[in-house]
Amino acid sequence: MKLYYFSEMPHHEFPDEEGDKYPSLRLDFPNRFFDREKAAANYQRYLDEYELADRVGFDGLMINEHHSTPSCVNVGANMTAAILARTTRRAKLLLLGNILPIEDNPVRMAEQIAMADLISGGRVLSGFVRGVGVETWWANTNPVHNRERFEECHDLILKCWTQPGPFRWEGRHYHFRHVNPWCLPLQKPHPPIWVPGTASPETAVWAGRLGYTYVPFLVPFEIARELFDFYRQGAAETGRTVTPDKLGFLICAVTADTKAKALEAGRHFVWRMGPTLRMPTEYFAPVGMRSRTGAQFALRSRPRSLATLSYEELLAGHFIIASTPDEVIDRFALVQRELGIGHLLLEAQESRMDHPTTMRSIELMGAKVIPAVARI
Amino acid sequence: MKPREEMLTVGGIDVHTWVGGQGDPLLVLHGAGGNRGWTRWLAQVAERYTVWAPTHPGFGRSGDAEWMEGIDDLARFYLWFIDAARLDTPHLLGHSIGGWTAAELATMSPGSIGRLVLVAPVGLKPDVGEILDIFYIPLPKLREVTVHDPATIPEWDELFGKPPTPAEQELVTRNREMTARLTWKPYMHNPRLAHFLPRVTNPSLIVWGREDRIVPVACGEQYRTLLPHARLTVLDKCGHLPPIEQPDAFARLVIDFLGSKP
Repeated sequence: MKLYYFSEMPHHEFPDEEGDKYPSLRLDFPNRFFDREKAAANYQRYLDEYELADRVGFDGLMINEHHSTPSCVNVGANMTAAILARTTRRAKLLLLGNILPIEDNPVRMAEQIAMADLISGGRVLSGFVRGVGVETWWANTNPVHNRERFEECHDLILKCWTQPGPFRWEGRHYHFRHVNPWCLPLQKPHPPIWVPGTASPETAVWAGRLGYTYVPFLVPFEIARELFDFYRQGAAETGRTVTPDKLGFLICAVTADTKAKALEAGRHFVWRMGPTLRMPTEYFAPVGMRSRTGAQFALRSRPRSLATLSYEELLAGHFIIASTPDEVIDRFALVQRELGIGHLLLEAQESRMDHPTTMRSIELMGAKVIPAVARI
Repeated sequence: MKPREEMLTVGGIDVHTWVGGQGDPLLVLHGAGGNRGWTRWLAQVAERYTVWAPTHPGFGRSGDAEWMEGIDDLARFYLWFIDAARLDTPHLLGHSIGGWTAAELATMSPGSIGRLVLVAPVGLKPDVGEILDIFYIPLPKLREVTVHDPATIPEWDELFGKPPTPAEQELVTRNREMTARLTWKPYMHNPRLAHFLPRVTNPSLIVWGREDRIVPVACGEQYRTLLPHARLTVLDKCGHLPPIEQPDAFARLVIDFLGSKP
């Protein structure tokens, strides 16, 4: 099983009681609490951590993107990918990912991903996501078009990578008379495509149909298995066999020299489960963004929202793994056995987890966990 | 006369329509909340006019129209509806997004309608203030700010008193989705509409609630200035739903306006 290092690049640099005054930390919490000096230092720090993760042997570095929220100030997945393309040497760069429905220029996106792939020597794994509602508000894209735009944007990017230009694109949501990008990915025909999932059966079926790698995020095991079943349905439709290499899973994880230290560090993940996900339904799922099936599945897939779970419950449910390297290895093996996955994505820094703790966790993962997990 | 419900097919779309009353035709276009049926004010107006109150495509029990992109599409659709239903120059009344639709329709073909009644229409960017983002604020809060005072609304219990059944909730979602489809960006207005409104020389009545917290009452003044033959009536102690909040006064206003001498 392959391991991936992921940091949301949080900006938890404000008094919590200030954030509590607003309906949500996303969209509403005023950016006068954005601390420019601390942010400048944090970006350096977070990039240092990614670079160490590359050096100690992580199989991949996962990069994501959010907007209008202190939970993630990585506001440009492709920008971060471009930096890491130069400053790292070995790990795959897993963009998970670019938010297709809110993109107005898929041709520019195809070019940017291609450029990162070229600079990195063909290390890009190109994830495509629908995004949560917050990003739809940020971009002011009509939520009722979310799925249509996701699929059309994807189709145009793929055409940019696989069909010789120039060509014309006249779709429903995208219109380009002269498409002829002079920047194509190094990997042929294009970087592998990954798709995350939290609640949408349609996305799972779609990813399966196209043979993309599919990764549920922070859901209970039984829900992940259900989503994988939807994925297999889609794969069967196009006669594909599903290997572990096509399935991944994302959890939060940290390790330390002692169990006590790891448990202390792991507490920082509670912030991302609770305060950063606190928001009215309308922010997370504006009207029309989810299909009826998706909305019903979402209700079922989260019998209890992550925000209502205690730290102990989050540990027990394997949403968070925080322990010594030996026990972390056992836990990762258990996740692999439960789900049959080939990729485990680790959200490995959060909230106010400090730099030395994060670096030590990365070192221990490299020294002990990665070699052991590679044999699973 | 008892109203009847019909399914008219226009452009391949089934349009659920309430029809009733007597006299010249009056086409009534509902707001984002959907077609509320044969309510008290409609029944009063129907004593003097034959009311046609269709449910917009994509709303309620009417058919889908996922290809529509904006209120101008809905306006063109209702020009077709007027032909299909053989309404022959009906008076046109629209509330909120229905008012915006009526205004767009009037700019496209002023000769296709008689008089025009716009009730708290969106459609223009307010010179002062903003149109409330009805998709951003939670639904219970939206209900609260839509009207001035529920206690004064005679039909409150019938219309809003009971929690919706699952089937009704599904229609609420459907109505909101279609509203989003038609009004998302630019939000609830068409920057070009103001340039076309002076074409509409039809006698026009604009009605607003002074306590409207959804669409600033200042927009009423903007419409009045842009429409060559318009007057504006602002109702006190009234929010965004004049036909529901003050049905008797509202029906009287409409009947008086439609029947007045040119």
